[in-house]
Amino acid sequence: MPLTAEAPPDRASPAPLADAPRVSRRRKALRPYLLSVPAVLLCAGILYPFFLGVSYTFFDFSAANPQPDVVGFDNFSTLLGSDAFWTSVRVTLVFALSATVLETVLGLGVALLLNRSSLIGKLFERVLIVPLMVAPILAAIMWKLLLLPEVGWVRPIANFFGVSNYNGTDSPVMAMVWAVVVDAWIFTPFVAIIALAGLRSLPKSPFEAASVDGASWWLTFRKLTLPMLWPYLLVAVIFRLMDNLKMFDVIFGLTSGGPGDSTTTLQISAYLEAISYARYSRGLTYMFLLWALVFVISMILVKYLRRIQDRAAGV
Amino acid sequence: MATIDVRSVRKTFGKLVALDDVSFSVNDGEFFCLLGPSGAGKTTTLKSIAGLVQPDSGEVWLGGQDAGDIEPNHRNLAMCFESYALYPQHNVFDNMASPLRSPVLRLPDAEVRERVGRTAEMLGVGHLLDRGVDQLSNGQRQRVALGRVLVRPANAYLLDEPLAHLDAKLRTSMRAELKRIAHGELNTTTVYVTHDYVEALSLADRIGVIKDGRILQVGTPQQVWDTPETAFVAQAFGKPRISFVSGGLVSDNGTIRFISSDGAITIPVPGLDTGAAAGESVRIGIRPRDLVLHTGAGDQPASHERLDGVVYVLEHLGRQTEVTVRIGESLVSVVAPRGDVGGLAVDDKVSLLLDPATVHVFGDSDDGRRLTR
Amino acid sequence: MGPTTETTTEPVVDPATSAPARTKPPAPPTTANQRRAQRGSAAGLLANLALILYFAFSLLPVLFIVALSLKTNAEQTTTYLWFTPTLENYQTVLGLGDGGSSYVRFFFASLATSTGAVLVSLLIGIPAAYAAARYRFKGSEDLMFTLLSFRFAPELVVIIPLGVIYQQIGLYDTIFGMVWVLQLVTMPLVVWILRSFFQDLPAELEEAALLDGYTRRQAFLKIVLPLVRPGIAAVCLLAFIFAWNNFIFPFTLTSGDAQTVTVSSLAFLGGNQVRFNLVAAGAVMAVLPPLVLALCIQRYLVRGLSFGAVKG
Repeated sequence: MPLTAEAPPDRASPAPLADAPRVSRRRKALRPYLLSVPAVLLCAGILYPFFLGVSYTFFDFSAANPQPDVVGFDNFSTLLGSDAFWTSVRVTLVFALSATVLETVLGLGVALLLNRSSLIGKLFERVLIVPLMVAPILAAIMWKLLLLPEVGWVRPIANFFGVSNYNGTDSPVMAMVWAVVVDAWIFTPFVAIIALAGLRSLPKSPFEAASVDGASWWLTFRKLTLPMLWPYLLVAVIFRLMDNLKMFDVIFGLTSGGPGDSTTTLQISAYLEAISYARYSRGLTYMFLLWALVFVISMILVKYLRRIQDRAAGV
Repeated sequence: MATIDVRSVRKTFGKLVALDDVSFSVNDGEFFCLLGPSGAGKTTTLKSIAGLVQPDSGEVWLGGQDAGDIEPNHRNLAMCFESYALYPQHNVFDNMASPLRSPVLRLPDAEVRERVGRTAEMLGVGHLLDRGVDQLSNGQRQRVALGRVLVRPANAYLLDEPLAHLDAKLRTSMRAELKRIAHGELNTTTVYVTHDYVEALSLADRIGVIKDGRILQVGTPQQVWDTPETAFVAQAFGKPRISFVSGGLVSDNGTIRFISSDGAITIPVPGLDTGAAAGESVRIGIRPRDLVLHTGAGDQPASHERLDGVVYVLEHLGRQTEVTVRIGESLVSVVAPRGDVGGLAVDDKVSLLLDPATVHVFGDSDDGRRLTR
Repeated sequence: MGPTTETTTEPVVDPATSAPARTKPPAPPTTANQRRAQRGSAAGLLANLALILYFAFSLLPVLFIVALSLKTNAEQTTTYLWFTPTLENYQTVLGLGDGGSSYVRFFFASLATSTGAVLVSLLIGIPAAYAAARYRFKGSEDLMFTLLSFRFAPELVVIIPLGVIYQQIGLYDTIFGMVWVLQLVTMPLVVWILRSFFQDLPAELEEAALLDGYTRRQAFLKIVLPLVRPGIAAVCLLAFIFAWNNFIFPFTLTSGDAQTVTVSSLAFLGGNQVRFNLVAAGAVMAVLPPLVLALCIQRYLVRGLSFGAVKG
């Protein structure tokens, strides 16, 4: 049964090689660039305002002064010399670090509990992502109402546990505490989901070996689970820290930066300067410094993550 | 159908040199085997021919045309991938019909059905045409992948380990089938990549031995077996493997003899080429089947040298036995009929008979070049 | 990038050769944790209690806001759980009752900006993600990290100058202006996740298609795209959710026509008479679409949320 001998040459054989269309080496090398052109243009469209914004920090641009003059580093020196700025830095760091730590610890805990695969756990896993899918601004508003002494359920609960002077977010300390709690309410599931995926992908044999050796839960957790889970957890931590450093919605919706300046983070400060008071250059200087902070921290963390992941991959 | 010329192709991936000055040509209708260990650059060579890998330098010519600027889809080559590369969303029929329906061929439906059916029957997957790819065993997948190649006419077939994942029995019968198709019916130029020397010897018109991205030797099965260019090529063919003994050449009354490093083996080496001289350190290769286990009785042919040693290891392989004999510091393998080794035990004294004309002499390294004519 | 878990599809073995293995599946491996749970039921009880506590905390605000949204004006400032539920607030918010609002318009603005943003990201992102996954070329990583940096940049650093530009060229408070700026939200997500999907597909599939005689474009459309379609669908939904939930961009760059539901929810908080029940009803309606969509993409959630870094 010959396969090709019978086939009529006019149909079964393609055009001879001499007629084949040719594509030069240079055009082939160009291919990935052509595919990336739209994305590069989009980047340019985003980076242009960014660099424009950076250039504004050297002007005294505001709604009241639409024909700005170059002021050099005045905006920076004013800002770095002002108490308001350093308060903002402190508030930003306190909020971002406490929220990230709380979310990581809670998220890891929830993941460990869900990984035990109990019936309740299976049920809860389905609703785990609910807070994460609520728009942060709406979550903040929901909590704002929940915390309002005259409307929300928190006052009666507080009263039940014997707290008589409950006053919602009226005190500076409690405003920060609740802001962190609300942030954790939204984003703990984020950490939990990633940690859970990590836990479920861990190899079983080391744990069985540890179990056979009679290692305690704590020892297994500290020496085995945590190191193996760390590459996963670190991804979550980086995302959360970066997000929390620039968190706007939660704080704006819950406290708008108050009372006083107790929850005025850098983003809130920049918002107040640039949008509320229309002092664009001042606002942008805040933002540029925050951006620099986020950028430096993210660079360090991503480098660290890469190293950890390479080690986990056995490179 | 077409000739294939690979000319000084070099390809690097980062720091790794995958192909280093690879050159060979395949004649029209020839079945060419590329034999080498894993990581030797076999697949990269194949993909360079297909146009899937862009060489850093060097050229690939197809049918007398420089194919550098011709896209893979216009080269009219059919390739069977080692990973099968079957389309997971299609069933077996659609996978095999894919090249026939492509813009290059665009055969009418009836002919597509007829060709796919015929090829599938031939490969023993005719009953699987409606199956999804994920419902096949590895052996079945491999045959479908091969079917996707054989179903179509092509300038050349590029086959990357097409029998590697079949079980031993099926592999043997498929090898015979492939030989029949390739040499008899299709007569299509074929480049066949394998790490299995038996496949290469039985299928190929010519074999190219490749290692570390370099072609070591190209020749007919007879040539690579009889006159391996390097120690590595000699070692690539035959099981048990060729035995190597290191030593040096000395001049003895005008003839040159080989003496092993420990002096335990000394034999004349006729047929040395002009490049070899006394005093040179070399290694000799002795194929196990060129040795005869001398069981004491009987006479020794005049042309043969006698080597005395003790049994080191005995391995029974069915009707034959592989005996490893220690001669001084050297280990030499010999294959003997089961009956001849009946009373033999480890540490027994034995003699081996060797025709010096069958000894291969190489320079003393893994890349050592052949010094015998 | 990413601690990759094995995602290769396990080949189904020939039924003929694997019959014994099928009839007797290996017992599922029990982890040390599970075994201990069986041993100490007290620990198990404690764990369940902890879970219940967390989920009470997790669902309390949701239950509260739903309850509040069903309360009448008279009852809105009470914390009682016992009340006669009414849908009046929803009607009011949707503009069906007295004091009709433009909530429906906000809703459609959200829909238009989010859908538009996702579509633009897909059109631009698919080729870029494919190029980044399949080709090694200069600047590829730079482009990818520039896109990723958009995700982590404080939004106001772009918003303030962009607001000025938008005012000048008339994009302020337009759907198109929002679609453009929402690329900061959707684009990094789409490109990074799609790249990880493309990387998971063996390149030899496209190579086989090329040798079959298909062009690169055909190989992509016929072979690659169908295989990543579920992933693309999931990414679209996730990007849509994030665009929908975004607040700061519409809050600062729109005022009326292109204002979205997240911004409009604030409106009820202002004014001379605060209507908590209307705020609640508006919030519930704004939260529903992303919640429903999120249920469709559970499988891809981990990869989506971690930008492809964790494959889950």
